[in-house]
Amino acid sequence: MSIAYAAAISHAPGYVAWVEAAPPEQKDALYSGAERLRGELAAAELDELILFTSEHWTNFFLDHVSPICVGRADAYSGPVEPWLKIERKTIPGASELAEEILAAAYAQDVQPGFAQELAFDHGTMIPLSFLTPAMDVPVVPIIVNTLAPPQPSPESCYRFGQIVGEVARKRGKRVGIVATGGMSHDPGERNHGFIDEAFDHRFLEQMAAGDAEALRRYSVADLGAAGAGAIELLGWIALAGALGSFSGEVVAYEAVKPWATGMGLMRFDFAA
Amino acid sequence: MTLYALQKLIREINRDPAVRTRFFEKTDELLAEHDLDAEERRVLAARDYRKLYALGVHGLLLRPFSILHQVSEPDYLEAIRGEPE
Repeated sequence: MSIAYAAAISHAPGYVAWVEAAPPEQKDALYSGAERLRGELAAAELDELILFTSEHWTNFFLDHVSPICVGRADAYSGPVEPWLKIERKTIPGASELAEEILAAAYAQDVQPGFAQELAFDHGTMIPLSFLTPAMDVPVVPIIVNTLAPPQPSPESCYRFGQIVGEVARKRGKRVGIVATGGMSHDPGERNHGFIDEAFDHRFLEQMAAGDAEALRRYSVADLGAAGAGAIELLGWIALAGALGSFSGEVVAYEAVKPWATGMGLMRFDFAA
Repeated sequence: MTLYALQKLIREINRDPAVRTRFFEKTDELLAEHDLDAEERRVLAARDYRKLYALGVHGLLLRPFSILHQVSEPDYLEAIRGEPE
């Protein structure tokens, strides 16, 4: 039927695992923002949810990396981190939708990887815990390699997103698309704790304006200059590709020092 | 230097409780089973975060590895920001 919902949300572990470390006003803004996204998702009565996500050496290691990997399983489980303070659950997989995405991509000479089995870490479980707390909406996780160079370019993520958007529009079901990751952060690296707020605000403005041209012009290095974790914004750029013509609203943005992350939440208006 | 083997073992220690227990309890035995040189075995056994980071171990492997040993964030950052001896 259509794309029925779209949002983007950052996934710093502190968002659920060390919540109280954040200043109360920042925590409140991010929690009320997530609640707003959750309410809109619930109202959209989704049949299926596509997640442009990233992972943290959970499924992939340097022995085998996919630039973009489409999960085609009937079920997933997570989180893998026992300390995350999210109850371990099984999440249904929208495997038929995954097959349609793969078929459409390969028909257009775009060849993502695929996986019949994926474990979810905080990168996927945090957005699900806020947006679909019952974990009952079947998902297609699409994991972008944001960790190991060379990563796919923003342009290639945008184009892949376009294919995903076409499939979602033809699907005959109510499909939601959520991007997760970012914004500026440098986890575990020398600049851990540094948050490039100017970068984050510029990126949010471009997403809000639906400025595809600006988003496609980024390089991986441009994103990485705001910290290794900012490369996770490749998922947001893929979402932009899926939506095509759109505008967005920043539901919340907080540079949360104790979580060492620029936390962005957005909702989007677009042609279904 | 075999950075790949080093990172692979750190990932296994982080992920696999059985490997983790062996790292804590039978460090030399575990390290001897892996394709590491003497210096890599030394810095891993000593948990020399500064040297491990300088060798190129990814931050999202090294920081979780340090958390296994209750290293605080400031101590971790001080370690990796310093110059290796």
